[in-house]
Amino acid sequence: MIWIVRNLWLIPALPALAAGLSALAKQRNRRFAASLAIGSMGLSFLLSLFAFAHALHVSGQGKQVIQVFNFPWLQYGGEWLKLGWMLDPLTSVMLVMVTFVGLLIFIYSTGYMAHDENFTRFFCFLSLFAAAMLGVVISNSLLLLFMCWELVGLTSYLLIGFWYHKPAAAAAAKKAFITTRIGDLAFLIGMVWLYSQAGTLLFYDQGTGCLERSALMGLVAQTTCIGMAASTGIALLIFAGAVGKSGQVPLHVWLPDAMEGPTPVSALIHAATMVAAGVFLIARVYPLMAAHGGTSLAISSTTALQVVTWIGAITAVFAALIAVAQDDIKRILAYSTVSQLGYMMMGLGVGGVAVGMFHLITHAFFKSLLFLGAGSVIHGCHEEQDIRRMGGLKKFMPITFATYATGMLALSGFPLFFSGFWSKDAILHAAQIWTISRVPFYLGTLGALLTAFYMTRQIYYVFLGESRLSDRHNMPHTKAVDHPEHSAPATPHESPVSMTVPLMILAGCAILLGFIGTPAWPWFDSFLSGQQATFNITGFLEGGILPVMLSSTVIVFVGLGLGWWLYGRKPIASADGPDALEQLQPQVFHLLRNKFYVDEFYQATFIRCNTWLSHLSDWFDRRIWNGAVWTVSYVVLGLSWLARSTDNYLVNPGFDEGCHTVTVGAKFLVRLQNGRTQNYLRLVGIAFAVLVVFLIWSGVR
Amino acid sequence: MITPFSYLGLLRLVLPQAIVVIAALCALSVDLMFLRMSETRLRCSVGAIISLAGCAAAIVWIFHAPQSANVLDGMLVLNHLAQRIQIALLVLTMLTILIFIGSTFTQHVSEYLALILLATVSMMFLVSTQNLLLIFLSLELLSLSLYILTAFNKRSIQSVESALKYFLFGGISAAFLLFGFSILYGWSNSTNIVSIANSIHGPSLDPLLIVAIVMTVIGLGFKVAAVPFHFWAPDVYQGAPAPSAAFIASGSKLAGFFIFYQVMVIGLAGAEGSSSWHAYASGWVPVIAIVAALSMVLGNLVAILQTSVRRLLAYSAIAHSGYMLLGILSHTNQSLHALLYYAITYALTVSGAFAVVALVEEETGGDTLSHFAGLSRRAPVPSFCMLIFLLSLAGIPPLAGFFGKFYLFSSVLTSAEGTLSLLWLVVLALAMSAVSLYYYLKVLKFIYVTDPPTEIAPMRISALRQVVLCLIALSVVLLGCAPDLLLHWL
Repeated sequence: MIWIVRNLWLIPALPALAAGLSALAKQRNRRFAASLAIGSMGLSFLLSLFAFAHALHVSGQGKQVIQVFNFPWLQYGGEWLKLGWMLDPLTSVMLVMVTFVGLLIFIYSTGYMAHDENFTRFFCFLSLFAAAMLGVVISNSLLLLFMCWELVGLTSYLLIGFWYHKPAAAAAAKKAFITTRIGDLAFLIGMVWLYSQAGTLLFYDQGTGCLERSALMGLVAQTTCIGMAASTGIALLIFAGAVGKSGQVPLHVWLPDAMEGPTPVSALIHAATMVAAGVFLIARVYPLMAAHGGTSLAISSTTALQVVTWIGAITAVFAALIAVAQDDIKRILAYSTVSQLGYMMMGLGVGGVAVGMFHLITHAFFKSLLFLGAGSVIHGCHEEQDIRRMGGLKKFMPITFATYATGMLALSGFPLFFSGFWSKDAILHAAQIWTISRVPFYLGTLGALLTAFYMTRQIYYVFLGESRLSDRHNMPHTKAVDHPEHSAPATPHESPVSMTVPLMILAGCAILLGFIGTPAWPWFDSFLSGQQATFNITGFLEGGILPVMLSSTVIVFVGLGLGWWLYGRKPIASADGPDALEQLQPQVFHLLRNKFYVDEFYQATFIRCNTWLSHLSDWFDRRIWNGAVWTVSYVVLGLSWLARSTDNYLVNPGFDEGCHTVTVGAKFLVRLQNGRTQNYLRLVGIAFAVLVVFLIWSGVR
Repeated sequence: MITPFSYLGLLRLVLPQAIVVIAALCALSVDLMFLRMSETRLRCSVGAIISLAGCAAAIVWIFHAPQSANVLDGMLVLNHLAQRIQIALLVLTMLTILIFIGSTFTQHVSEYLALILLATVSMMFLVSTQNLLLIFLSLELLSLSLYILTAFNKRSIQSVESALKYFLFGGISAAFLLFGFSILYGWSNSTNIVSIANSIHGPSLDPLLIVAIVMTVIGLGFKVAAVPFHFWAPDVYQGAPAPSAAFIASGSKLAGFFIFYQVMVIGLAGAEGSSSWHAYASGWVPVIAIVAALSMVLGNLVAILQTSVRRLLAYSAIAHSGYMLLGILSHTNQSLHALLYYAITYALTVSGAFAVVALVEEETGGDTLSHFAGLSRRAPVPSFCMLIFLLSLAGIPPLAGFFGKFYLFSSVLTSAEGTLSLLWLVVLALAMSAVSLYYYLKVLKFIYVTDPPTEIAPMRISALRQVVLCLIALSVVLLGCAPDLLLHWL
C-alpha cells in the first residue's frame, strides 16, 4: 500500500499534537504556541498536497480511486469494531482546502490576536479544531467521523465562547453547542440504525462497507413501518445532523450568533471547517442518499435527496432575505454563509457530489477572504462592527478594499472572472434541469439576486461615501466603550502585513479557482468521479447552459443595480438615519431585520415549552420521586429493623439451640466410645443383626 | 479351574513385591549383623535408606516394565490401574519412612521398618488380586503388621492398650469377613470374585447372600474405619506411634478402599439394589449408604468435642471414610477415579498432618489442642503446612481436598442410579463438610491465634522434616490447582 494512504492519519495527528503541546505550554509562550500551530498546519498542508498528488495520479491511471486503510479498534463479544481512513478525490480536495485555508487563517490570527492575553490557549483550540475537521475528512468509518464531528462541536463551543467574559459570547457558544446537539442526536440515532441494519460502520471495506452495493441493496429492500425504505430513514437522520452543523433552516439560529467569537474563528468556522462538515458529510454518504431500488447507476432523485434540495433552496432564500437588513458586518456575512450553505445542499440534491462540493471549495476561499477582510476592517476601525458607523474606508484601507471587493464579486457571482459565478452557475443549471420541480431553480435565482443586492449594500456602507466613524459615541451600545485607549476618534488604518498577505492570497484563489470547473473544462467534476477531463469549448452550448449563464448574469447585474439605486445614488449621510430600504418598505425591512422572528418564535414555543417541562420535572422530582425515595428508604429502614429483631430474637437463639443440639448429640455419641472392647464388639454384633434384618425386611416388602 | 503357571513367570509378575521383601530382609540383616553396637540415629538412617531404596527400586521396576496379567484364577490381576495404585502405596510408604526418621520411641528401628515394608507388600498384593483367598490373606498380613506397628512404642501403656483393642476388634472383623467369604464360596463354588458375580441372579436376594454381604461389609468396613465398625480407630490413632498412625490413615486406607470397591462392584455385581428415595431395592448399596451416612454424621459431630488432635484426626478420618464410601456407592467408572483421587490426596494430607503432630509431640510431650497453642510463633513452617493440610481436609479451594470432594460429589450426582437420586446423601455430605470446617479451624485457631502458655522458644526441627513437610504441602496445593495431573495419571 502506498505510504501516504497508510500514514494519512498524520494529517490530523500533527495539529492534534500541536494542540496537546501548546495546552501544556505556559500562557506566556506565545511564539512557541503560534509557531507550533502554524508549523504543524504547514506540514499537514504539505502532506495533503502529497495526498492530493497521489489521488490525482491514481485517478489519472483510471484505477480504483478509493483507497482505504482499516484496522480493528476494539472487541466486544465475538465482533471487532473497525475504524479506518480513506483517500479518494473528495478527501484529497477537502484536505488541501482545509489545510490551506486553515494555514492562512492561522497566520492571520497571529496579527489579529496579537494583543489577546490568552493567545496560547487560542492557538491550542485552533489546532484542535483543525485536527478534528481533518479527522472528519479522512474518516472511513461513520463512527470515527462522528467522534471527530463531536470534537468539532466541542472546539467550536470553546472558540465561539473564547471571550467568555462577554455574556453574549458565552450565550452564543451555548446556543451553538445545544442547537447542533439536536442535529447530532438524530445523527447518532441514524448511525445506530445503520449499524443495526448493515452490521458495519465502515464506508468502504472491499465490498462489505455500508456505502457499498451489497449493503445499500439490503438497506433499500428493508422497509420501515411507514413504508419508507430504511436507507431513506437513515439518510434523513444523518441529514438532520448535517442540518445542525451546516446551519440549515430550521437549525440555522446558532450561526449568526456565533459571530461573537474572534473573527479568525468566524472565518474558520464559516468558511473552511465546521459548516463545511455538514455538506461534506452529505457528500460522503451520497451513495446512501442516492440509494434506490433500480439497477441503473444514473443520478435519480430519491426522497432523501429531494428533502436535501428543498431544505437547501429554502435556506438559500431565507437567509439571503435576512442578510438584506442587517447592520453588523459579520452578521451579514454569517447570513450570507447560511444562504450559500443552502446553495451547496441544493447543489448536492439536484446535481450530485461534484456540483455541491465545487461550490463548497470556491465558497471556502472567498468567504474566508470576506471574513478576514471584515476582520481587517474591524481591526482598522478599532473594534467597530456596525456598518452604519463606517464608510469611506476605501482611502484608508486600499488593500483590504481591493481584496474585499474581489470576495464580494465572487460571492455575488460576477460573470466570467470570479469563481463564485462558475460554481453557482453549475448549481443553477443543475436545478433548472431537475425533473421533480422548477421551484428550487426560481428560489436559487432569487437568492442570487438578493446576494448581489446585500453585498452591494454592504460595500456602499463600509467602503464608499464619507466616514461616519465619529458618530460612534452617539450610539449607546457601542463596543468601543470597553477600550478607552481607542475612544478617541482615531483615523482608520490599514492592517499589518500578516493580515493583508493572506487576504491577497485568498483573493487570488477566489478568482482563479473558478477555472477548474467551467463547463468547457469540467476538471473538478471529472476528478471527483475519477474520469479524465477534456477541454471542449462546445461545453457551453450543451444542455441549455448558455441561457442559464446569461440569465444569472442578468440577475447579478439587476442585484448590483438595485444596490446602487438604493445606496449608491446619494451617499449615506448619517449613521442614525433610516436605511434606504426602510424608507421604501418599513414593514418588510423590520421583518427582515428581526430575522423573521425565528429566535422569538423559538423563544415563545420550544424554549417556553422546555421551561415549562423543566418546571414540571422539578415539581415531579420534589414531590413524586422524592416522596417515593423517602418511602422506599423508610420501608428499607423498617425492613432492616424487622430483620434485626428476627436475628436477635429468632435466628440467634435458634442457631444457638441448633449448636447446642449438635453438641448434645456429639456428647451422646462420645458415650459410645467408652473404651470397653466388649462394648465395641457387642455394638458390631448389634449392627450386623440390624443390617441383616433391615435388608431382608426391605427386600421382602 | 486353576491353570498351571511357571514360577519364573510368576516371579516376574510379583517382582516389585519381591524387591520390597528383599529390602525388608536387607534392612533387618544389616542392622542386626553390622550395626548392633552403633547408636540408634545411625541405624535408623541406614535402615531408612535401604527401605527407601527398596521402595524406589520397586517403583522404577513397575514404571520400567508395566505388566498386564490375570493368572491363577484371579489370584494375581495386574493392570494399569492396579500398578498405579501400587506406585501410590509405595510413595506413601516412603513418606511414612521419612516421617519415621528421627523418631525416638523405639530402639528396634530395623524391625519397625521391616514391618512397614511387609505391610506394604501385603497392600500391594491386596490391590492386585481378585481372589477371595488372597484378599483375606493379604488383609491378615496387613492387619497383623499394623497391630505390631501400633504396639511398637512399648514404653507407652496407651500404645499397647490400643494395639490390643485393635487386635481384638480386628480378629472379630476378620472372623466376620472369613465367614462372609465362606458363604460366598459356598454360594458360587468359586473364590474368584468375577465368578461369584456370575452366580448372582434375580432381582430379589437370598437371605443367605444378604448375610454374606453384611459380613463382608463389616470386615472391610473395619479396614476403612466406617461407623459402626470404627471403634478401634480413635484409640489406635491416639495410641500408636505417629508414623504408624500416619501409615494406618494413609496407605492402609487407600488399599482398603480399593479392595472394598473391587469386592463390592465386581464381586457383588447384580446385588447392588438401590438407595434412592423413589426406587429403593435391597442390596449392598443401601448398606453402604447407611454406613456412609452414619460415618459422616458421627465422625464430624464427635470430632467437634475432641481436645486431642490425634483423636480429632481419627474422627475426621471416619468422616472422610463416609465421603469416600459415596464413591463406592455410586459405582461408576467416574466415581472410581474420583474415589482414588480423593483417597490419594487424603492420604497425602493426613500423613502430613500426622508428621506435624509428631513434631509437636516430640517438642511439647502431648497432642491436645493446648499443646498446639502459639505453634505459629515457634515453628512457622510446620504451622503453615498444617494450615494447608487442615484447610485441604476441610475442602477449601484451591487445595486438593476441595477438588476431591467436588469430583466425588459430582460423580455421585451423575451416578448410574439416575441423576439426583442420591441427592440426599450429597446434601448430607455437604452439610457435614460445613460442620467439619469448625473443628479444623479450631485447631488452626490454637496454632495461629492463641498465645502459648509459657515462655516460647523456637522449635529445633531437622531440615529433612521441614523439606518433607513442604513437599507434601506443595503437592497438596499443586494437585488442587492442577487435579488433571493425578486424574490423567491414574
